[in-house]
Amino acid sequence: MISILEELAEGQRQLSGPLVAAALTPVDTSEDPNRLQSFYNFSNAAQISTSLRHYLTQTCRLKIPKQELNAWIDLFSAYWKVVGELLKFGESSTRASWVQVFDNWRDLANVLIRAYTNFGFENWTISCLYVVGKYLRLFASKADAETSAQSSDAFYQEDATTDFGKNAKTEEAARVLNRMFTLCLNDRAPLEASRKWGVYYMTNLLFKTYFQINAVGLSKNLLRALSAQAKELPDLEDFPKSHIVTFKYFVGVIYFLDENYGEAEEHLAYAWKLCHRNATKNKELILTYLVPCHLVNTHTLPSKKLLSHSPRLETLFRSLCDCIRKGDLHGFDTAMTAGEEEFVRRRIYLPLERGRDIALRNLFRKVFIAGGFEESKDGQPPIRRTRIPVAEFAAALRIRTHADSRTRIDIDEVECLLSNLIYKGLMKGYIARERGMIVLSKGGTAFPGTGV
Amino acid sequence: MSNTQSEDKKAEASQQPQQQKPTVLEEDDEFEDFPVDDWPENETEQASGSTNGNNVHLWEESWDDDDAAEDFSKQLKEELKKVEASH
Amino acid sequence: MSSGLPPWRASASATTTASVYPSHATPAYIPVQARRSLTTPSKPTPAVSIQPAPADADSARKRVEFPPAVRSYVQRCFEPEHQIPGVTRQEMETKLKSVITEAAQSDSLYKIDWATLPLPQVMVQNDKTRILANPEASTWGSLYMAATASSAQTYKHDESSKKRKSAEYQTDSSSNGFPPWRQTNKQNAFEDRITYSPTDKRQRIDFKNPTSKSKANLEMRKKRFEDTRGSYGSSPSSRAASPSPTPTGPVVGRCQELEKNYFRLTSAPNPDTVRPLPVLMKTLDLLKKKWKSDNNYTYICDQFKSLRQDLTVQHIRNEFTVIVYEIHARIALEKGDLGEYNQCQTQLRALYAQQLGGHPTEFKAYRILYFIHTRNWTAMNDALADLTPADKQTHAVKHALDVRSALALGNYHRFFQLYLDTPNMGAYLMDMFVDRERLSALAVICKAYKPDVKIRFITEELGFESDEQSARFILDHSAEHFLQEKDGVVKLLTGGKAAQLFELSKNEAHRVVDIKGQI
Repeated sequence: MISILEELAEGQRQLSGPLVAAALTPVDTSEDPNRLQSFYNFSNAAQISTSLRHYLTQTCRLKIPKQELNAWIDLFSAYWKVVGELLKFGESSTRASWVQVFDNWRDLANVLIRAYTNFGFENWTISCLYVVGKYLRLFASKADAETSAQSSDAFYQEDATTDFGKNAKTEEAARVLNRMFTLCLNDRAPLEASRKWGVYYMTNLLFKTYFQINAVGLSKNLLRALSAQAKELPDLEDFPKSHIVTFKYFVGVIYFLDENYGEAEEHLAYAWKLCHRNATKNKELILTYLVPCHLVNTHTLPSKKLLSHSPRLETLFRSLCDCIRKGDLHGFDTAMTAGEEEFVRRRIYLPLERGRDIALRNLFRKVFIAGGFEESKDGQPPIRRTRIPVAEFAAALRIRTHADSRTRIDIDEVECLLSNLIYKGLMKGYIARERGMIVLSKGGTAFPGTGV
Repeated sequence: MSNTQSEDKKAEASQQPQQQKPTVLEEDDEFEDFPVDDWPENETEQASGSTNGNNVHLWEESWDDDDAAEDFSKQLKEELKKVEASH
Repeated sequence: MSSGLPPWRASASATTTASVYPSHATPAYIPVQARRSLTTPSKPTPAVSIQPAPADADSARKRVEFPPAVRSYVQRCFEPEHQIPGVTRQEMETKLKSVITEAAQSDSLYKIDWATLPLPQVMVQNDKTRILANPEASTWGSLYMAATASSAQTYKHDESSKKRKSAEYQTDSSSNGFPPWRQTNKQNAFEDRITYSPTDKRQRIDFKNPTSKSKANLEMRKKRFEDTRGSYGSSPSSRAASPSPTPTGPVVGRCQELEKNYFRLTSAPNPDTVRPLPVLMKTLDLLKKKWKSDNNYTYICDQFKSLRQDLTVQHIRNEFTVIVYEIHARIALEKGDLGEYNQCQTQLRALYAQQLGGHPTEFKAYRILYFIHTRNWTAMNDALADLTPADKQTHAVKHALDVRSALALGNYHRFFQLYLDTPNMGAYLMDMFVDRERLSALAVICKAYKPDVKIRFITEELGFESDEQSARFILDHSAEHFLQEKDGVVKLLTGGKAAQLFELSKNEAHRVVDIKGQI
């Protein structure tokens, strides 16, 4: 019994996309450790389509319209070839090559695309697109890794070097995936029979691919294409949650990289809420970007509880957050330096850096509170002292930057820091330079949102 | 200054071996495929959050009033005195 | 189809994939099954098979007394800080032996400049990565960079930036005492650039800074240009560093002409029109002379492009290549030709990764300043990720990083201090965005100060040359009545209205670059 073909046949009987897709998944399983080998042994290159036709119509007694049957046979013939290439890795021969695997899998993908455009594959089979697209990307990156490991031939070029060619297969995969995306996006069939239901899955695959080859910019083309078709698409909420969460995550990160932290937070928060609660790794990734967004947008920090779920996040953010809370500038700078490499690698350095403003605000807020109250008049409730010499803020800076007695704190720079906080709305009031004073606003609004 | 330049040069030389450290996003940074396509509402983070009362405490304010305000006040006064004394 | 239920839901329920997630009690988050067996296939084969160490006979055969320079060269080969990951000791030793044997046999033990000869491990690595592409899948912005680099060619010789400069200088210099370095900048003589660096002049105005520093800076710059002029031609190091020509791949040029116009290649290059390295070295000397005497940028840029092309088609990648790109980049920078500059910068990034010499930290610093100017944060992230801890200790890189962080935090005070103390040719880049940052700072100042500030304060804080210059700048971007004379001093009346005007100008200035930045 050939389990791959049994899955195909059973999928056809039940009209189950996932089952057919399972058949197209090029791996051995624990139930059938020889799954690929037995499919490969089932025939040979010359006879594979005949054998397939015979197996499906005679052994499995499937009744499929002829044209469609032919398409399935073409598809599985192409599949058979890839399996042959994959099996070479198990042999001791050195002929195994990811480039070969990729090229054959790309052929398979093209056969599949044709099956939709020309031979009437229905939308219940859409999981086939998913699995073929997913492995296309995977094989492409293995092929590129293989190519770059072997020294490659130089072509004559305009210049000494370009990145061109380094991701050749992945770029090729992206083009095929893009056709699949279009295949889904532009399907005119009524919604219940439409490939439009595959559009976010394909988008997500393309996002992953673009991120992998540092072409994040291309992701925006997809977003434009999607929004141009927005009216024709089913509501996002009606898609499977795995599609939604992945999509929202990537859109969030795309905005994030553009320093649009407002938009970014909305998408990331959505992804967070809908994410499966046991998907630890993905939850961590969402929070990796959500936390800096939230810090920039709302000046609030992740709770201890939130971080405590993940040791990774704990190391990433804990000490930084503590320093921000305490207004400890020296500690903040140290934590930024200590984490720099990791922050930069994860592309979160820039927003985290802005946390210094919050730390500074918290420190200056302490100065305000330390200033105490004015003498209250006629039994009125006491009012905080709102005229504060710049020198006091300078002194606070000396304390919290661990300035030693010889370091001069430049009053102009202190004013510059103050003016920035005022400009950014973190402090309310103004600087009276001639008098060396800060005049803060009264009535509990000097440090908006912080209760004083 | 010419010192600085030779230092620069030295630094350039000593960094050479590490210069090629990869700056790629590691595989482990990639968003994973979910093992299932869809899941019920009650398995989402949101649902698990609200049942534990977790959700409310995702974020907290960034300032810290517990930190003994008195201490800071004292420290500040001392620092101010120091500054005045030095003038 | 059942009522309004998406089809995927209906079909999913029919299948067995049902609950991979345990519905309650959390134990395992089961990883995707599919991946499991994919990991078994063998890893890609290692790039270079390790060769058996050759017998020692070779070097022992002839008793040669090695000069000290050779001995110290050998010593350096084995020092731990010179080891390169990915190059095995055996590979290095094999290469070392062949280098020394070759030198001994050709009687060049005393001719080779051992102090500058690349270490054998570097040679091995260069052999391995014959294509200059960055290692591995590089960083997020590289594709963008490649795109910028190629489309920037349409930008040719940069009419726009030329216009911008000359226009600016004409209006400004006629209206107020314009600092001499800017005026000489207009003439752009090579010598002038050396004599009046922006840093130099401004520091003389700024009393707080010791002048010795600026002089030293000047020395540094002079040296740099001398360096670049002196180090080829006769130096054997660059020749020795050039990869031995592979028999099949690259073209070997036969052209003896020094000058050659640039043509974009559409087919394999003809050796008759390609200049070999010794000719190219003479070409570079000639170009440097011509640039100095004629200062014809269109000509020089074209010549440099053809020079670069000849290097490329012959696969010449050594210190000379680096120097060519560096000089072209500096000239482009001086002329404000950002398109061309960016191309060189992109190439240099890859060349430096190959450790072929040159001035990596100088250009890494430019790169950071460049991305500040174009406000390309994705690329900035990449530039930061490229830095090694040692890079960050160097003056130029540290300066650029400080500039970046001062801007990120809105610390204009620090920013303008740094502006007045910019190493190398960074001031050419900073000049491109300094006005924009002045507007940002004025928006902040007008919002935070009341009721006014002295014009002197603005001059000092925002790095202007004189009160007149800052007054002019303020008037250009706001309205006359915001400047008033009180008690014998000119003051800027701050407050909401002025803040609003500067906010507008600032946004306008940033928008302009947004467009430019997308070259």
